[in-house]
Amino acid sequence: MKLLLFLAFAFFSGLSISAGDYKCGSIECYEFSPDTKDKESLQRGLSAYMNYCYGCHSLKYSRYKRVAEDLSIPLDIYEQNLIFDDSKIGDLMHISLKESKAIELLGAKPPDLTLEARLRSPEWVYTYLDTFYEDSSRPYGVNNKVYANVSMPHVLEDIQSELSEEEYDRYIADITNFLTYVSDPSAETRKQLGIYVILFLLIFTAFAYLVYREFKKDLK
Amino acid sequence: MTTDTRTKRFLNWIDFRFPLTEVFERHLSKYPAPTNLNIWYLFGFLLIFVLAMQIITGLWLMMNYTNSAEEAFSSVEYIMRDVEYGWLIRYMHAAGASAFFALIYLHMFRGMMYGSYQKPRELIWLGGWFTYLILMAEGFTGYVLPWGQMSFWAAQVIISLFSSIPIVGEDLATWIRGDYLVSGITLSRLFAFHVVLLPILLIAIVFFHILALHEIGSNNPDGIDVKKHLDEDGVPLDTKPFFPYDISHDIFALGVFLIIFCSVVFFFPTGGGYIIEYVNYEPANPLSTPAHIVPSWYYTPFYAMLRAVDFPLFGLTAKFLGFATMMAAVAIFAVLPWLDRSPVKSIKYKGILSKTFLGIFVVSFFALCYLGMVPPTETKTLLSKIFTLGYFSYFILMPIYTRIEKCKPVPERVAEA
Repeated sequence: MKLLLFLAFAFFSGLSISAGDYKCGSIECYEFSPDTKDKESLQRGLSAYMNYCYGCHSLKYSRYKRVAEDLSIPLDIYEQNLIFDDSKIGDLMHISLKESKAIELLGAKPPDLTLEARLRSPEWVYTYLDTFYEDSSRPYGVNNKVYANVSMPHVLEDIQSELSEEEYDRYIADITNFLTYVSDPSAETRKQLGIYVILFLLIFTAFAYLVYREFKKDLK
Repeated sequence: MTTDTRTKRFLNWIDFRFPLTEVFERHLSKYPAPTNLNIWYLFGFLLIFVLAMQIITGLWLMMNYTNSAEEAFSSVEYIMRDVEYGWLIRYMHAAGASAFFALIYLHMFRGMMYGSYQKPRELIWLGGWFTYLILMAEGFTGYVLPWGQMSFWAAQVIISLFSSIPIVGEDLATWIRGDYLVSGITLSRLFAFHVVLLPILLIAIVFFHILALHEIGSNNPDGIDVKKHLDEDGVPLDTKPFFPYDISHDIFALGVFLIIFCSVVFFFPTGGGYIIEYVNYEPANPLSTPAHIVPSWYYTPFYAMLRAVDFPLFGLTAKFLGFATMMAAVAIFAVLPWLDRSPVKSIKYKGILSKTFLGIFVVSFFALCYLGMVPPTETKTLLSKIFTLGYFSYFILMPIYTRIEKCKPVPERVAEA
């Protein structure tokens, strides 16, 4: 208890400053603006995610069906190709890797990534995926510029060596777009609806102004 | 029988049993509002609107929220993803909290500017002050409910402030938490306060606030007592009926407010991290402290004061003194009516000293608001100390400067102002 209080107090009295001065760990974030309207990119991102990330990182606040519908993927095709266990299409996207097993293998529990792009920012995710480097002092021989001493191995290593730099950038951009979408799936609906709401309010306010002006005339 | 007489007969039937027409006339169609009310008089109406909106959106959120440490975070994501328009309801409620504070600060500032707290409106002012207190508690308890990292650590830091009180502190903090550290038990009780106790108090106090106002009548930007000059029916000459003249003005203002509010809700729902903090997208984890624990923007002036007091005095700890300073900064609003010794109400007719000190107060408030958001450095802590003094000087020196300064004469009638 005392320790917790001390920690909390230490942090807000500024004795301890966060990991670095940059938003992306030891470096500035790379420039990246997510495009969640590009459905093809989102589909490619989903497929890459399911094949390379989903083994360890669940998306447990999201449902398969929602993703399929939002990304315009027919449900039967989705079920056949992108659900690997006996989950139903309406289920939450849990993974089968047990926490104890993950800790045994990696030394840490891989976090759920549903909200990662909102927690860290899309730029952070993109930069993170692009800045793995060789470091023989680490158990998997790699380290990361954004997340120092990360427990995760460089799972995209094979992909990165097969693709040209440009192709790899697009590959991780697709994953980042997908993670940005899944962190806030209602974003596009929200923005579309917002335009109509604001239009309605402009008309409402114009009429409210006319009514107000009429009454104001009485007072003179 | 014509429709007209039928309506009349129906109204008569009601009026015989409930004073419907009387209430409508007293509070709306015959409530005399001074003719010189300006834009600063809109915020009361907008606050009522936001209160209603928070209650309605809150009700719908509550239908799907689970108040346990295990389920709270995922139930919020359930609302955001699986509940029809759940995202809209939640964003409205979150942005509504910020709007509530923005509006109440403007409303309070109007009172300070035009001396609306002065005799005979002391109880109206106290009712408003109490509303503000309850709102702060409501904001804090609501902030904890999503059970993200910032929710958890803000609760941990705020409740631990009570442990700084000498002798009883530790036990008091444990009693508030219901546990030795913030846990599901704390979450449950804060939820109960947030959805039952505090809203009931809020509605009751707002009702009192409006009832008292409608008994005494509204102040105005010139601080002129409009009740001195009445027409033959006993209606103040310099007033107009609230309905429809002011209400039409207020509805126009509501339109403008909603355009701004909905732009935030639909296009910038997290408000750049000021409405929903990004750190709160990670579930509460008692074992990992976020790098910067920052309260919501509407508490940061007081948080800056807490940090500004970093020295022990008279055997009391710095933490306790900071906590006491913070509490005093909120409490001191309550005695404002008795600190002001000026013969005039409005800042327009007060002297240069009142204007200067009100200016110092405003600058200090905004500066502290900023300083409470950023990580402290030595210079920033020094600045916080200076602005804390600036904030309190407005109140503490008021009995002196309002007595010695020279005021301008207040006109008898609004037309002469």
